[in-house]
Amino acid sequence: MIETLVKSGMQLVLILLIAPFLSGMIKTLKARLQTRRGSDVFQVYRDIFKLLRKGMVIPETASWIFSAAPYIVFVTAILVGLMIPMTTTHAPLSLFGGVLAVVYLLALGRFFLALGGLDTGSPFGGMGSSREMTISAIAEPAMMLAIFTVALAANSTNLSEMAKVAVSQSWKFLAPSQMLAFAALFIVLIAETGRIPVDNPDTHLELTMIHEAMILEYSGPYLALIEWGASIKQLVLMTLLVNTFFPFGLSSDWTARGLALGFLFYIAKLLVAGCLIALIETSNAKLRFFRVPELLMIAFILGSLALISTFLFI
Amino acid sequence: MRLPFFPTPDLGNTIITLMAAMVLVLQIATVGQRWLISNIRIFAVQSMLLAAIAGIVAYFNHATHIYYVAFLTLVLKGGLVPWLLERLAKRIGIRREIEPLINVPLSILIAGGLTLLGYYVAESFYHPEETSVRAALGHNTLAVAIALFLIGFFTMLNRRKALTQVMGLLSLENGLFLAAISLTYGMPLIVELGIFFDVLVAVLILGILVFRIREAFDSMDVSKLRKLRG
Amino acid sequence: MVGVSFAISVACYLTGAIACLASSRRPALARYICCTAALAGAGFGALAAVLGILRGTPVRFSVSSGIPLFAYSFSYDALAGFFNLALAILAGAVSIYSFSYLKEFEGKRNIGFFGFLFHALLLSLTITFTAADAFLFLMAWEVMALASYGLVTYYHEDEETRRAGLLYIIMSHIDLGCLLLGFALLSQASGSTEFASFHAAAVQMSNGRQVAAFMLFFLGFGMKSGIIPFHIWLPAAHPVAPSNISALLSGIVIKAGIYGMARIFLDSLGGVPSWAGLLVLIVGVVSAVLGVLYALMEHDLKRLLAYHSIENIGIILMGLGAALIFRVEGHPQLAAVALIAAIFHTLNHAIFKCLLFLGAGSVLHSTGTRNMEELGGLIRPMPVTAFCFLIGAVAISGLPPLNGFVSEWLTYQSLLAGFGVTGGLTRILFPLAGSMLALTGALAAACFVKAFAITFLALPRGTESRHIHESPRPMLIGMGLLTAACVALGLGATGFLRAFDPLTEQLLGQRVGSNLISGKGLVLSAGMPHGGTVSTAIIALGLLILAAPAALLVWMAAQRFATRRGPSWDCGLPGLSAENEYTATAFSKPLRMIFSALYQPRREIQAVFDVSPYYPKEIRFESEIEPTFEKRLYAPLQEFIVRVSTKMRAIQAGSIHAYLLYIFVTLILLLFFGARP
Repeated sequence: MIETLVKSGMQLVLILLIAPFLSGMIKTLKARLQTRRGSDVFQVYRDIFKLLRKGMVIPETASWIFSAAPYIVFVTAILVGLMIPMTTTHAPLSLFGGVLAVVYLLALGRFFLALGGLDTGSPFGGMGSSREMTISAIAEPAMMLAIFTVALAANSTNLSEMAKVAVSQSWKFLAPSQMLAFAALFIVLIAETGRIPVDNPDTHLELTMIHEAMILEYSGPYLALIEWGASIKQLVLMTLLVNTFFPFGLSSDWTARGLALGFLFYIAKLLVAGCLIALIETSNAKLRFFRVPELLMIAFILGSLALISTFLFI
Repeated sequence: MRLPFFPTPDLGNTIITLMAAMVLVLQIATVGQRWLISNIRIFAVQSMLLAAIAGIVAYFNHATHIYYVAFLTLVLKGGLVPWLLERLAKRIGIRREIEPLINVPLSILIAGGLTLLGYYVAESFYHPEETSVRAALGHNTLAVAIALFLIGFFTMLNRRKALTQVMGLLSLENGLFLAAISLTYGMPLIVELGIFFDVLVAVLILGILVFRIREAFDSMDVSKLRKLRG
Repeated sequence: MVGVSFAISVACYLTGAIACLASSRRPALARYICCTAALAGAGFGALAAVLGILRGTPVRFSVSSGIPLFAYSFSYDALAGFFNLALAILAGAVSIYSFSYLKEFEGKRNIGFFGFLFHALLLSLTITFTAADAFLFLMAWEVMALASYGLVTYYHEDEETRRAGLLYIIMSHIDLGCLLLGFALLSQASGSTEFASFHAAAVQMSNGRQVAAFMLFFLGFGMKSGIIPFHIWLPAAHPVAPSNISALLSGIVIKAGIYGMARIFLDSLGGVPSWAGLLVLIVGVVSAVLGVLYALMEHDLKRLLAYHSIENIGIILMGLGAALIFRVEGHPQLAAVALIAAIFHTLNHAIFKCLLFLGAGSVLHSTGTRNMEELGGLIRPMPVTAFCFLIGAVAISGLPPLNGFVSEWLTYQSLLAGFGVTGGLTRILFPLAGSMLALTGALAAACFVKAFAITFLALPRGTESRHIHESPRPMLIGMGLLTAACVALGLGATGFLRAFDPLTEQLLGQRVGSNLISGKGLVLSAGMPHGGTVSTAIIALGLLILAAPAALLVWMAAQRFATRRGPSWDCGLPGLSAENEYTATAFSKPLRMIFSALYQPRREIQAVFDVSPYYPKEIRFESEIEPTFEKRLYAPLQEFIVRVSTKMRAIQAGSIHAYLLYIFVTLILLLFFGARP
């Protein structure tokens, strides 16, 4: 009990601190790639801190759901983070929720955020909610297939189990099923975190907003919670991706050396993944909204191919 | 209930066969009848004979519930229903039937043919190897019952006046009753009660309908009713 | 004790029916009698159910009727117990709700007759779930169909209602016909109409007969449950009924089909052909996906909920299909887990669908409309109703930590397990079914965001002039009970799992309840070593614990500047009014475009202008999706039947003598050829 609490606390601190760093890093890298100077990697920390100190304006049309949504988004993202192995193969709360709980907890956050967007009565909020729910709905089958491929290999939906199995079969990541599943999940990651080519996180034009439209009316500490929550969600999904498919460096125990080593490898993997995302964002244009289902259909096909190849090629 | 002399099952069998034969004769007689009141009275006598048959069957098989059935037949079908029908006929004021669809000699011939068919059908129920009283009782009365049923149906087909068609229906039901008695020694009391109720209600409803037909068409001729078409 | 409680419950419903009918002239009295008798019956029914489930072995008793070959025989076992429990919970909540809901009928409609039909429905459901004889089962089934018909057409002055009722009664009788034939097959093989005798006879039937029996039962029970493509009566009939009845219809009446399938396929037929489970699974997937896709396009609140019932029946059938496949392939433990998932989802869906319909009923009661496009902002005058509806919406979307998530989690686990143990091409079907389940879950969440937000949030779209108030307290209590049940079943799921042991033991010979619980009773596990685990209780606890520091943070931060209320920013555009709000049709537009192959949407815009086409005076917009099943399946079928009937009209000439002659000739022929010595 106490052990779980201590581990959860440690992982919690890690999540809270690293998430804004990751967002900041991707932003800076994008800027540099676009030959701009951009902000430095700690800017997102400053943004969150600034928002926390500002006053808040709540729309007159909104109800308690508008106020509850930021908390739910933030808290579900953190809880999911505690279920995913970061530096060791054993995540603190992995017994209490596996990959299905992860997916559905994030869906809970999204549900309330969408409600919050519609609560304001503004058409932008409605539009954002509508598009966000649509894209997540289309992304679900692809995500599930990719996750199932990994879960079937590990014979469990428990993320710690999956990590343990992956560590023990270290060269298995070159198997075609794993590669295809990685590709499918990567596309879904882009959709879920709202990055180009699915959504532009830096825009406020009506035609191009999805996530931004839902949170248009939020300000002050609520906006801080939402932004932080979004970056935590991004961190969590990227961690899921890298640690399940490239589990090097995950230590199997909680010794100081193991933790330190695991932490270094983890940061390195995140940096690589972040660079990949920044590259993809810079070299692609945002897709027209009704082309996004095509992209997600590709992810679905990749996922089913991954599944089929588990028993055709092994 | 003990009679002064001890009746044997054979004696019972003979009496029943005799009464069944009389019922059949009466039925064939109704085929050719033109006077409506006579038809009704013949029906009453038929029902009384059937009640007697039922009573004898009850006595020999010690089945008390058939006594009730016999009593009910006597009262309802032998008494109440003919009385209702006679009253109705008097109110309407008809006494003679108009010409049936098939003329009388041919109708009687067809009735004879139907009787033969009844015997043919009853053959399949007859197992001569069984020497019990039950089997013997079964054969003849079943044939008569089926003949009664078919001739009743034929009467419905042949006649034009609604009231005579009612009579046909009632003798059809008599035939079924006799078949039930001879084959299974009566159906459960609840079923019999249901059937009696059914008959009573049918007669009441038909009585009302007959009036309406008369009013609407100024005639009892059923062939004038042609609206139930597709 | 089980028998006594059951008998008292039946007696309550019977006396309720008769007493309501007798007190038709006094509406207030009829209302009291209806609700209290139903509540009493529900209470005893729940007691009987709980005792019956805990007892473990079936209780059998029979009452003889006066008719030979027919005795009223009942068998109260765990399966009957579960369905009766769902019925009792729903009947209890609905009867408390109806206490106020029926008040609006006073003086306008016959409450006594309503009470009579209501009690007849409850009685027939109780008997359907416990009947052990085919005749009794079919009689109860027919009474259920007739009582439902009477209740569906309660607002009979509406053309739409009458047509819906007609469709309902026709489909009900088609499924009754299928069941009749199926039971006839089984009875002929076993020589008796008792359920207990079917098992031994069914395994000896020839293969063709087994297949025929399976298909007949699947069609019959499936039609009752509303599987695609026999579902068209559901979205027509459930919305037009009074809301408390819609709750019962969607909650428990369509589950009678599931009960029948579980009873016949697992208990009576013994074994089913190996492709049977696959068929059930595929039908489940198709129903789930199509159900939710059609639900997304609805803006009538109750029709939306009706389509969601089809979707959830699909999910239940997925679990049931998986159970059947595992049983045939020889993995009884996995079959037990899949069966538990299916039955648990049945119970959960009954509870949250009833809750949602009662919520919709409250909305209808307060605002007078079920059209979402005319609603909005109801969370302010109706906060409790809104909260209950929200809990129902979260539960039906399968979001943690509520009960919908638990049963969907169990379904996922059984589908995943299927990949490992089956072979060949069927192997791939399980994860595909899992991904389709994920799709329906996400689409359901989208649909309920729409339903809840458009109805309850933001500004009212047309009901400002009406005086809207919160529902009366009995209605709130009824909904509150169901909300509490959703939360309890979600957080405490592990506590209830052991109750499924008698059920799986009786049907499959396995007790897996304890396999599914680990971690000191808090964690739900998939039953396999190193298998997946989840704990809704800990998740809920975690959410609450983590929310505290976040709230503290915000509170501390907000001390610096006051939080103020102001108009929506709306990108700086002024004049935000209710007309600018997103509508339900607009919300579902992206999905309408993405799935346009299914919907075939058709859109027509007409503008009226007088000076210039850029300044229209009036615009008329019409949008329609194609009713695929009605157009392509039922309309041609109808046409064919009408054509054949027209040809057959010729024999109905109109003469009574002709008709009598037909009968007479047929009779003579039958006698002649049938009675050969």
